[in-house]
Amino acid sequence: MLTSGPVVVMQVPEVLNVKEVRNFMDELGPLLESNRPRIVLDCSQVRSMESAGVEMLLRCLEEVLKRDGDLKLASLSPEAEVILELMRVARVFETFHTCEDAVRSFNAIPAEAVPQNTPWYSDVFSELGVVKQAS
Amino acid sequence: MVGAIIIGDQTGAMEDKHSPSRFCSYQAPWASMELLGKSPIARLAEDLKQDCDVVSLISNDRDSQHGNATHQGSIADLAADRFEDYKREGLGTVLIVQCGSYVELDVAEMLNFHEVRGVGVTRAFSEHAPLDIWMVDLSGLPDHVPPLSTLLRTTPAMYHSQGYVNHLRTAREFRRLVLDSFHSRCRLRPQGSEIKPGIWSCEGAQIERSARVVAPAFIGRAVYISAECLITRGSNVESNSRVDFGTAVEDSTILPNSYVGIGLDLSHSIVDGRNLLNLRHNVNLEITDPVVMRQNTVGGVHRQSWASIEAGSMALSSAE
Repeated sequence: MLTSGPVVVMQVPEVLNVKEVRNFMDELGPLLESNRPRIVLDCSQVRSMESAGVEMLLRCLEEVLKRDGDLKLASLSPEAEVILELMRVARVFETFHTCEDAVRSFNAIPAEAVPQNTPWYSDVFSELGVVKQAS
Repeated sequence: MVGAIIIGDQTGAMEDKHSPSRFCSYQAPWASMELLGKSPIARLAEDLKQDCDVVSLISNDRDSQHGNATHQGSIADLAADRFEDYKREGLGTVLIVQCGSYVELDVAEMLNFHEVRGVGVTRAFSEHAPLDIWMVDLSGLPDHVPPLSTLLRTTPAMYHSQGYVNHLRTAREFRRLVLDSFHSRCRLRPQGSEIKPGIWSCEGAQIERSARVVAPAFIGRAVYISAECLITRGSNVESNSRVDFGTAVEDSTILPNSYVGIGLDLSHSIVDGRNLLNLRHNVNLEITDPVVMRQNTVGGVHRQSWASIEAGSMALSSAE
């Protein structure tokens, strides 16, 4: 089943320290527990991020992946970009220039939903099967 | 006899409209920051001691602990006082260097040029711009010496220096000087000894066996590089700093007394305690998380103060 809720875009606070992480998680926590959570974090306002902030992002990603969802980062401020690179986690996240791009990326049709063309040889194999059974 | 006055002016006391602020650097003048074991100002002072009979340093450095540091008055006043002292002492020529740039000056050649031209003031120029270096003939001056700033604004003879110049106005220029030194594009040589081709290490530096240092690189005095670290691509870790387990430092400078935490990827940056300046993204960050970066509390000086630059019999004055 491919049903899922809408994509939720959330603004990450300017300073992501231990206190702000707690407040932010109060808002984000319930979303993480939904079915196939699809979350975009707008990082345009981020000016400073402590290791607690990076840990929170990783924890969120882990949670959404467990529930077959995804978490994407958008509009990364240069500060956020530098911190994520510094802490070696920049490559873990899918990032987008804008929130719109990130949201759109969720709406791309998943591969399993695309009807597959039956290969030309499948008919041949089924005919062979009939012949085999008859003999 | 030739005397020299090095002015570490951060206040613009000597400034004129043709020479905009030279100290628009990151926290402190780049010329006073330790670079490959010693600050450019200290190197300049040492160089001048070889060519000049007397060298004086004048600054408004707050760190200075020297006896003269309590002198009240502006840098310009101090410079003028020293200038008059030199005249009284019978020195023929004074070289005035307003420090900010790293310049490899041929003092003997400039002096020869100055004498041949017979003009009261000669100013050094690099290819495109005037340098803050003047040579002034004391014998030609009246008894009452005009203010130094006025004197330096008179039309000088133009001496074109062929030596290496780095204006050290920006962090990028600071990093460029590090790389130019590593690649022998200037005379500046790293302190310490070259333990492997292109790798310099100073006294008391400790590099764990599993850490990897790739040339060119510089490991300063009393630096500790923990296990599994990687120091590479023209990086320099200055004195009393510590790079913790598994961190990679690439194309970066770690200034003295800085701690860089565990498992980080530091690239294209300059670190000074809690401050991180990333040159690729042009971002200056204050890292508030001490686990990531902080001032290293283990001994040493934060940056090379004028007092520490003072060597031997060199006189030091400070306006602070």
